[in-house]
Amino acid sequence: MGGFWCRGWRSVALCGRCWRPPAWPGRSVESAERGLRRLGTWKRPSGARGPAAQPPRRPASSNPFQRAQEDEWRRRNKTVLTYVAAAAVGMLGASYAAVPLYRLYCQTTGLGGSAVAGHSSDQIENMVPVKDRIIKVTFNADVHASLQWNFRPQQTEIYVVPGETALAFYKAKNPTDKPIIGISTYNVVPFEAGQYFNKIQCFCFEEQRLNPQEEVDMPVFFYIDPEFAEDPRMVNVDLITLSYTFFEAKEGHKLPVPGYN
Amino acid sequence: MSTAMNFGTKSFQPRPPDKGSFPLDHFGECKSFKEKFMKCLRDKNFENALCRNESKEYLMCRMQRQLMAPEPLEKLGFRDLMDEKPEAKDK
Repeated sequence: MGGFWCRGWRSVALCGRCWRPPAWPGRSVESAERGLRRLGTWKRPSGARGPAAQPPRRPASSNPFQRAQEDEWRRRNKTVLTYVAAAAVGMLGASYAAVPLYRLYCQTTGLGGSAVAGHSSDQIENMVPVKDRIIKVTFNADVHASLQWNFRPQQTEIYVVPGETALAFYKAKNPTDKPIIGISTYNVVPFEAGQYFNKIQCFCFEEQRLNPQEEVDMPVFFYIDPEFAEDPRMVNVDLITLSYTFFEAKEGHKLPVPGYN
Repeated sequence: MSTAMNFGTKSFQPRPPDKGSFPLDHFGECKSFKEKFMKCLRDKNFENALCRNESKEYLMCRMQRQLMAPEPLEKLGFRDLMDEKPEAKDK
């Protein structure tokens, strides 16, 4: 029980824990005191630190039980720290992985980019043309420099109203002596109006083969979403330009396909 | 496709067509219908609303010649034209 030990010392020396050291009958008070002072845990009555004193730290005690317990605590601390560090690294990795994962999600669910309502065939069936809003759609045709087609629209413009399906034609001719495969993409300006421009069927994003000296008509069947008339940002938009560009379809070349760009 | 300079502005996202791509009319089977449609457009000053019958006929030609997946015309937005036809027949 350590009858020679002052009670105050004990609680302070062992950092506030109520723990009784086993009695060491052989020791004297002074040597114990010296030992504690050496370990630096003994709080001086004055409160001042000695010259070479370390800041109070948990000592490596000589008691095997305490040492085992402290080892246990240290081990537990290390595992907790490892888990926390792993969680932090995991969070960082998740934030990097979110980009391709979101892209994958968009491609599988088809919610690529725009948050406009789905253009199902039911919507086309039931949509009502907004007859008082006439929009002029002009057509533009471009060809990549390496593609030797003659590609042009067959009408310069067409006047449509939102909610009405419309047909337009382009013409492409292959003036060379060998078959050429082309693939096209399109662009709509102004960009904001592009989200209302829905193509039911066209000739884009698929390889189109033209035999030598062949000329074909390429139709575009489209409509402008009736919600265009209700969008306040589109109030001043009266002109929409649809622009198609043809590229030569070569092996290994990938056209930027619709989806998450 | 936006240029590299416009970093902050939204770029255009091309969307695939709802019903896919038209097969090419290599043999010009529906060319006469197309010519009729284009003539109508030129006559009516390129107003689409006045030439919808011709566009409907072009699409029907395509469907008959396997150049387009057959679909009821209402689903292609020609419901008003379909409603007119039975009335015209009655009259």
